Amino acid sequence: MQIDQELCIGCGQCVPYCPVGAISLDETAVVDLDECAECGCCLRCADCPVEAIYQQELEYPRTVRSILSDPLTIATESGISGRGTEEMKTNEVTARFKKGQVGIGIEVGRPVSGARFVDVERIAQAMAAFGVEFEICNPTTSLMSDPATGKFKDELLNEKVLSAILEFCVAQEALPDVLKALKAVAGQVDSVFTVCVACRADEDENIPSYQYLDKAGVWYAPNGKTNVGLGRPLAKEA
Amino acid sequence: MTHTLHRVGNEENLREDFVLLAMPSKDINHEGSGPKLQEIIRICLKAGAVKAGDARLGNEYHQGGLETMIANIEDRAVVTAVFNDPAKLVNALKTIKEADFGMSIVVSGLFDRVKECCHAFGQKVHTVNTSLGRWGATHKLPANDMMEIQSMCGHGMVSVNLIADTVDKVKNGDMSLAEASERLFRPCQCGIFNTDRAQKLIAAMM
Repeated sequence: MQIDQELCIGCGQCVPYCPVGAISLDETAVVDLDECAECGCCLRCADCPVEAIYQQELEYPRTVRSILSDPLTIATESGISGRGTEEMKTNEVTARFKKGQVGIGIEVGRPVSGARFVDVERIAQAMAAFGVEFEICNPTTSLMSDPATGKFKDELLNEKVLSAILEFCVAQEALPDVLKALKAVAGQVDSVFTVCVACRADEDENIPSYQYLDKAGVWYAPNGKTNVGLGRPLAKEA
Repeated sequence: MTHTLHRVGNEENLREDFVLLAMPSKDINHEGSGPKLQEIIRICLKAGAVKAGDARLGNEYHQGGLETMIANIEDRAVVTAVFNDPAKLVNALKTIKEADFGMSIVVSGLFDRVKECCHAFGQKVHTVNTSLGRWGATHKLPANDMMEIQSMCGHGMVSVNLIADTVDKVKNGDMSLAEASERLFRPCQCGIFNTDRAQKLIAAMM
C-alpha cells in the first residue's frame, strides 16, 4: 500500500488502522513498504479525507503478502477467502480428520506480530522432520519449494504477511512428540504463533486429543470451535 | 485455520460470546449454496444475532449495508453470525436444522456452553478445534485486556493501535461505547467481531 505524498495532508487518521504499525507520520503519512503486509485495512477503513491511500501494482513475490494478509483474497488452492482451508469446519461431509487422527494448525504471525517466511520455514522444517504432509489446499503449502522438508522458495523468505498457516495431520499418539518439537523451535523464531488441534469427537462426545495434550503438559483453552454435524451428505466415516 | 478460534478471555467474559459459521464444502455441496447461506443469515438475524457477516465478500460496511451484503452472498461463501445469548443461538440452530439446508455449521464459544446448545437442539458434538494458545515471541503480545478485544478478529485486522486510540476517545468523552465498538468492528471483514462484548470490555477499561 502507498500514500500519495502530493495529496496527503498529514492528518494522521490512517496511522492507527495499520495492524503491523507500518504507517508513520511526520509532515505526511508514509508507509514502510518493508513492514507493510498488504492487508488493505488502511485503504478500506481509514476514510482518508483526501483519498491519498492507494494500492500500488503488486508483483511477485510481493503478491504473496496480499494473498496471505488480505482476508478477502480468494486463494486458488482452497477456493475460499482467508488464509486457511475448510479444515474441521466441514469435517462431517469431508471426513478430513478421521478418528485416531488430529489436525494441527500453526498460524505464524498471529495474533499481532505478522511473520516473515524465514520463521514460517523454520517451524515447517521442524514439523517436516515427523514426515508430515502439509495440507495441499492451504495456500501456504503452495509457497514451499519442497513440502517434504518444509523448505520455502528462497525469494519468499523475507516477505512479510499478517500470518501464514501450516496445516497437517498426525496420529493422535504422535501429538506429544510433535508438540515437544514445536516447543523447541518456538524459542528460535521472532514471530508469535498460535497452535490449534482439531479432533473428531467419539460417540460419547469425548475429545480423544485431550488425553494426549494432558500427557504433553500443554495448556489448552476452554473455548474453541465445535462442528455441530449438520452438513450433508455425511461422509462415510462421519 | 481458524479465524473464529483463539479468542482471548476469561470464562466470565466469554460466556456471552458465540460465533455461528455456515459454509458448504467445495465440490460436495457448494452448488446452489448461496441462497441457503442467505437464508441462514436471515434466520440468525431474526433470532437476535448481534452481527452477521460474509467472509467471502466482506462485512456490511465494506459492501455498503447489511441488506446489500446479504443479497450478494454467493455459492461458496462463508457466512457468520455473532450471538450474545445462548437461547437466541439455540433458536437459530433449531430453525436451521429444521430447514435441513445441509450446510456445515460451526459454533465457537466455551465448549461446555456450546455442547449444551447442541443438546438443546438435538445434535451431538461432531468435531472440535481447540486452541493451544500463543507460542514463540510472546513478549511481543500486548496486554491481556487489549488481546481480549483484538482477538475477536481472527485475521488480525483490528490493530492494537486502533483499540488504544478508540479507548482513549471513549475515555475523553469523544466517542460513545456503541460508536467505539462499531469503529472496531469495521476492519473485521468476516463480521465476527462481537460489538456487544467489545462494549463491555472497553467499559471495564475505563
